[in-house]
Order: sequence, then C-alpha cells, then structure tokens
Amino acid sequence: MNQVKKSPIDEVGKRSYSTFAKINGEHPFKTQVPGGRVEYQARHKKGGKVAFFNFDLAREMGLIPKTHPNHLNPELEQEILRTFSLVIINEFDVINKVKIPEEDIYPYTFMATRYLQLQHPDKTGKTSGDGRSIWNGTVRNNGITWDISSCGTGATKLSPASNINKKFYQTGDPSISYGCGLSEVGEGLETLFFSEVLGKNGFKTERVLAIIEFEKGLGINVRANPNLMRPSHFFGHLKQGNVTSLKQVADYYIQRQIDNKVWTQTNFKNDKEKYHYLARQVAKTFAEVSAKFEDEYIFCWLDWDGDNILMDGGIIDYGSIRQFGLFHAEYRYDDVQRYSTTILEQRQKARYIVQCFVQIADFLTTGKKKSISQFRGHETLKFFDKFFIECKDRNLTQKMGFKKNQQDLLLKNHRPLVTKFRKTYTYFERAQSKRGIHKVADGINRDAIFCMRDIMREFPQIYLSRQAALSPQDFTEIIKSSYAKKQDLKLTDIRKKQINRFQTSYMALVYAIEKETVTPRTQVLLELTMRSSVINKYDRVTGDSITYIVQKVQKLRPRLGAEELYQLACEFSTYQNLNPDQKKVSSEIPPRHKNIMQGFYSIVRDCREGL
Amino acid sequence: MKLVFYSGGIDKDNYQLDKIFIELLGKKNPVVTFIPSSSYLSEQEFKYFVKHYSKFKISRFIHFPIDVPFDRILFQEVIRSDAIHLGGGNTFYFLNSLRKAKLLPQLRAFVKKGGVLTGLSAGAIMMTENIDMAAYPEFDRDENTVNISNLSALKLVDFLFFPHFKNSTRYDVVFKKYSKLHQKIIYACPDGAGIVVNGEELRFVGKCYAFADGHKFSIN
Repeated sequence: MNQVKKSPIDEVGKRSYSTFAKINGEHPFKTQVPGGRVEYQARHKKGGKVAFFNFDLAREMGLIPKTHPNHLNPELEQEILRTFSLVIINEFDVINKVKIPEEDIYPYTFMATRYLQLQHPDKTGKTSGDGRSIWNGTVRNNGITWDISSCGTGATKLSPASNINKKFYQTGDPSISYGCGLSEVGEGLETLFFSEVLGKNGFKTERVLAIIEFEKGLGINVRANPNLMRPSHFFGHLKQGNVTSLKQVADYYIQRQIDNKVWTQTNFKNDKEKYHYLARQVAKTFAEVSAKFEDEYIFCWLDWDGDNILMDGGIIDYGSIRQFGLFHAEYRYDDVQRYSTTILEQRQKARYIVQCFVQIADFLTTGKKKSISQFRGHETLKFFDKFFIECKDRNLTQKMGFKKNQQDLLLKNHRPLVTKFRKTYTYFERAQSKRGIHKVADGINRDAIFCMRDIMREFPQIYLSRQAALSPQDFTEIIKSSYAKKQDLKLTDIRKKQINRFQTSYMALVYAIEKETVTPRTQVLLELTMRSSVINKYDRVTGDSITYIVQKVQKLRPRLGAEELYQLACEFSTYQNLNPDQKKVSSEIPPRHKNIMQGFYSIVRDCREGL
Repeated sequence: MKLVFYSGGIDKDNYQLDKIFIELLGKKNPVVTFIPSSSYLSEQEFKYFVKHYSKFKISRFIHFPIDVPFDRILFQEVIRSDAIHLGGGNTFYFLNSLRKAKLLPQLRAFVKKGGVLTGLSAGAIMMTENIDMAAYPEFDRDENTVNISNLSALKLVDFLFFPHFKNSTRYDVVFKKYSKLHQKIIYACPDGAGIVVNGEELRFVGKCYAFADGHKFSIN
C-alpha cells in the first residue's frame, strides 16, 4: 500500500475488485447536508491484517462476484486493506504539525457525521456525533445503495471526551479510553456474532463487512447497512431549531428510502404530506421494532436522543445491546453516571422518538418549531399505540407457532381471544423473584422466574400426547426457570387460576384455527409442536453468551484465519436461526471447527436464561 | 421385546420395515417419540420424521433432544409413549448423551414394559451390546468426537448391527476378521433393509448379510 495518492476512481475497472475503488470517502450526505458532518483527511494505517471478511455480505453488496469462493486471496486482502485500513488526520495532528508522508494520504476526505448524543453536556447536538468512526462511502448493487462506515479510525472532535475536557485528542491517547478514537477487535467480533444471529432472525441491523486487526488487539470494524441514518441525525438540528439543515437531512433520508424502494409512496402533493408520511413511517417502524424488542427480550437502550438505533429500526452499536433469556424487566445497565432504561421503558422511548418526528414534520411544514408536548395526542401517536399492540398480538401468535395465514385469521377474526391469551402469557412472563432488585455484573436486575420458551415449546406436544390439560404442578415444573426459588413457585389460588386460563385460552386459539381452516385439532397441535420447537429452541443466545463466545474466539484467534472465522460465524448463525420456515442445512465443517462449535453450544446452553 | 433396526435410505426404501413397525404398535392413535442423536438442527429432522410417519396416520409425536437438559414432565410423556425412535447421527456423541442423561436403563425398562423401540443407523447400533460398529471399518466410521472409551450400549440383543452396508470385499475382510476375533454375529444391512425383533422372533427385511466366525452369509 504505497499508492494512496492515486485517485481510486481512476482505477475503477483496472483493479481485480474494482467496486472497492468506489469506496473512497465520497458520500452524498457530504454535499446534501453540509452542516451535518465534519470532514477529515485520512492516511493509510500500516500493519493491518484482515481478521474477518464477510463474503456473503460482500456478494450482496456487489463487492465480489456472486461466484467468488469464500477464500481471501492476496489481491482481495490487499484491496480490503487499501480501502479500509485508514486513520483520520485529526485536529491534534494538524495543530501539532504531525508529519505524514504524502503518499500515505488518501485523495478524498472522509466524514464524521453530527448527531445528538445524551452523553454530551450541551444536549443540542452542536458538538456530538461520530467520535471514533468515519463513513467510507457508498456502493450500489441490485437497486440498493449501501452505506459503509468504519469504527476505530481515529479521534474526532465530536467525541464526548473532546467536548467535556475541551481539548483535541491524539488518536490512541492512552489517558482516555472511549475518546481515543480506537476500537478493539473484540468489539467487532461481538457485533459480528450478534448481528449475524439477529439478522437471520428478522431483525434489521448493521452488519460487519470486515475486521482489520492491529497490534495489541486493536482493530477497525467496517459496518454496512442500506441506510445508516439514525433519528439522532435529525434531532440535533431539531434541538437547535435549524430548519435548513433539518430539511436537508429529511430530504436526504427520504430520497435514499425512495431510491432503495423501501417506501411504497414515492410522490407527494406537498411538503406537508411528505414529512407527515415520514413521521408515519417512523411510527410504523418503531411500533414494530419496540414490540419485537419487548417480545424477544432485546435490550437496546432506546433513549430520547435516538442514538442507539437506525431510522429503519435497525440495531447499531452492539456495545450496549443485550438479548435476555427471560423477561428480566427490571435490568438496568450501570453507565457510571446513570442507569439505563429498562426493557419495558423502551416502548415509551420509541413513542417519544415518534413524537419528535411529528414535531419535525410540523416544523418543516410550518417553519415554526412548536413545543413537543403539543403533539402528545397526535393521530400518528395514536396509530403508534394501536399498531404496537397489534404487533404484540402478532408476535405472540407467531411464537406459538401459527403460520402467517393463521396469524392473519386470528388477528382478523379472533382478536379478543388473542388479547385474552396475551394477558395470561404476560402474567407469567413478567413474574419476578421475591429476591428483589440486586446487583449484577454490569448493573442491577430483578430476576424473572418463568421461562416462556419452555412452556411454549412443550405445551402443544404434551397436550397432544395426553389430550388433556396439565396439572398446576406439572405446568410449574415445566415453566420454572433456574432463577425461581421455592417461595417464588408457591401455587396460590391466583397462580392456579392463571395456569388454567393460560391453557384454556391457548386451546381456544387452537380451536379457532381448527374451525377456520377445517383442520383436525391434532393436526393443528402437531404443526404448532414442530414450529414452536424451532421458534422456542431450548438454547437461544443471550448477551452474556455472545460475550463468552467472543472471549473463546479471541483465545483461538492466533490460529483462526479470516476464512475460518467466517465459516464459524455462518455456522453459528445457522444454528441460531429460529425461523421455522427456513430450511436449514448444516454445512460440512472440519473436525476442529466441530469442537469449537460444541464449545459455543455449551456456552449458549449455560447462559440461556441470563442477561 | 419389540425392536426395529433401520439401516437408512430414503422414505420409500423402508416401506416394508415401516409397515411392520405399524403392526408392532398395534394401536390406533399411538404416541411416538423422536430422540435425535444431537439437538443441533434436530427440529428439522423431527419435521421429516413427522412428515414420514404421518403417512401412516400417526398424529401424536414428541420431540425429545437429550443433549440439552429436559424436565421431568416431558420425560414422563416420553416413557409413556407407545414407541421411541432413536435417530441417526454420530453414534459416539449419541451414546455419550444418553449416558449423561442416565437414559440407558430407562430405555431398557421401556422396552421391557412392551414399548416399541426403533433406531436408524446410529440409533439402531445403540440397541445392540456395544457401539463397536460405529468405529468399523476404519475407512467408514464415525469420529469419536467426545473421546469415550466405554462403548457398551443398550444390550437389548446379542448381535451387532452394521448400517449402510455396501456389499464389497473391503467390508467383508474387516467384518469377517472382527466376527472371528470377537466371536460375535454381525448383521450388516444396506439402506432400505433392516431387522425386526418381536419377542423371540427375528425377522430380516430386504437383503441382509451376516458375519459369523470369520464367514459371510447372505440372508434373503
């Protein structure tokens, strides 16, 4: 890598992997939202090695041909390093006149985007944004434009440390951690394993394209998504009352959604219709995603700044992402200065984000920024509330194992039955230990005592076998989690009633489908048995299990090549794919990998009820 | 004692064995439990299993992976079921999991009480005295990924069973030698063939082979 100065654009078509040459720092956001970014020159960072490359994602993005083998040949490795192994020339470097060989400097600048972050003292987004990331650019393939961004590319002036301490930091400054602009390979691995699993299970998420490794465990983690805009990209300009920049961000975002064919409506009578359509889309997305987070026990730390989530509800920044094994409704992450939100508070945070978008729509239409409280009762928020409940009902029927057409029938013709079942389901799901709130490794929690996946998996097959309901004792034996103590499991009259209600309302839904589809009851139960055994698999990943798996991978790393890591990530996400309609085929993996995978399975099992 | 040894093959290959299995059940609306050799992607196998036996008008099934913890209630249903099928896969891993879950004596008791036990490939080997056959011949064996040395299995019959047999000299050499050395009868069955044990009666279905005292015999 000694030819950076040469314009990569000149090389398109000449390089073996010519699409990489288009990823050069240029990005439409730079010109369309001038007030939304800070630009940096960058230099090549030497000593990097490709630790991971996502062949599957690269094919989807058109970076490698469809027929490309999962093999990292020297040219491809060079191309990845040439494109992504970079560090910004930041304010510290400029002020201190740090000498950089000219041939190491990239011809174009890279942007760090501005967005609102609650960690920043000014709380208006004037100083906050990408603190240790830059945007590499975009690629377009099969009608979809992808954004690519890298983390660990140097300290920008938008980091909290820079603003709290009122100084520019040298990249890698050992006196600070987060603000030093670097990232670790472990962070990339955590994102990789978690995002691939969640992506396979229908969550929208950023995905890891590549991890470049340097000495001392440091790394550059390259992420991609069809649209990396977050609500917080809008909120900074909203807080500042900057209607010009806000409009630019909104128009930029809308155009991308239209170009990527995400939006069904593409023509609007006027700005009012356009921006309220945007608010409505956000309401739909955030109702859906917050219901899914709640039902799949995803803790994403949604907050008023709209920082930890993408506009399409996609998960970003896996540092604070958790998937709980049980409904640990009172877990709060301890972030030193404050505690995080809980899993149940996410709905309200999502609603507030929607409310902000209604305010944005009004602001952009009228030119006047009204108080957010004026939009509390707006019809878009009413739609959010209604759609949230509908999503909860659908999610529950899906968890039971009903097929899409059966879910539709239940929601259309038997909604009260679904609601009734959801109420009793929630009673068990949210039951908590008498132990009360206590400290856990990184925060506080109050343990959930029942494992809903176990009862949802076993109930249909036991009912099918016995052709009778379970006794309260048997029901409790199945549903109890390892957190439940004797005193938590006392069979009170209320508990007995709820056990009875759970089974009768579950069966009421089975009878409804029996009638609606003229299918024998045993057949309906048998299908539920098969589907729910996949959906409610005994061993599902949790945040803790991902942490331990990454620790294991880190230990194995010196002997694990980029291709092997890719194979392991694929195999692991296949094993954790809980879609009953997906035909899963186990790939042939070398015996050494089988042992590694066995280790992963055992970690997932051991942590299955945790945080 | 009611046992069915399946070698392997696709659905229609085993039609005869399946028919006999249904006769052995001798009951309307039976409950059949599927025990996979490993929980990994076993839901998919369970789906195929259900699809296959649904053709015989069976509609009550239990999926019972044993390499993950299970509760007492589901286990009671398994033991109460009319038939248990042991799936195919890695025989060493399967035996290790059955032993860890303390299921070997429970399965023997199930058979003793009149339950029908069937096994396919690794599952069929499991019903014999030991799983030596999973380690033979060297060119066609399971990998002992769990490093177990105690290979004794359910010991429900006094013969050994070799599935997926290919009638060729190189297999013959190995099995003749083994049968002479260990003084054991090996029944080797190609895919689609198998053995049915009903009380004292031993019935071979399809083309089977026996190896005894260093000799090979053709059956059927």
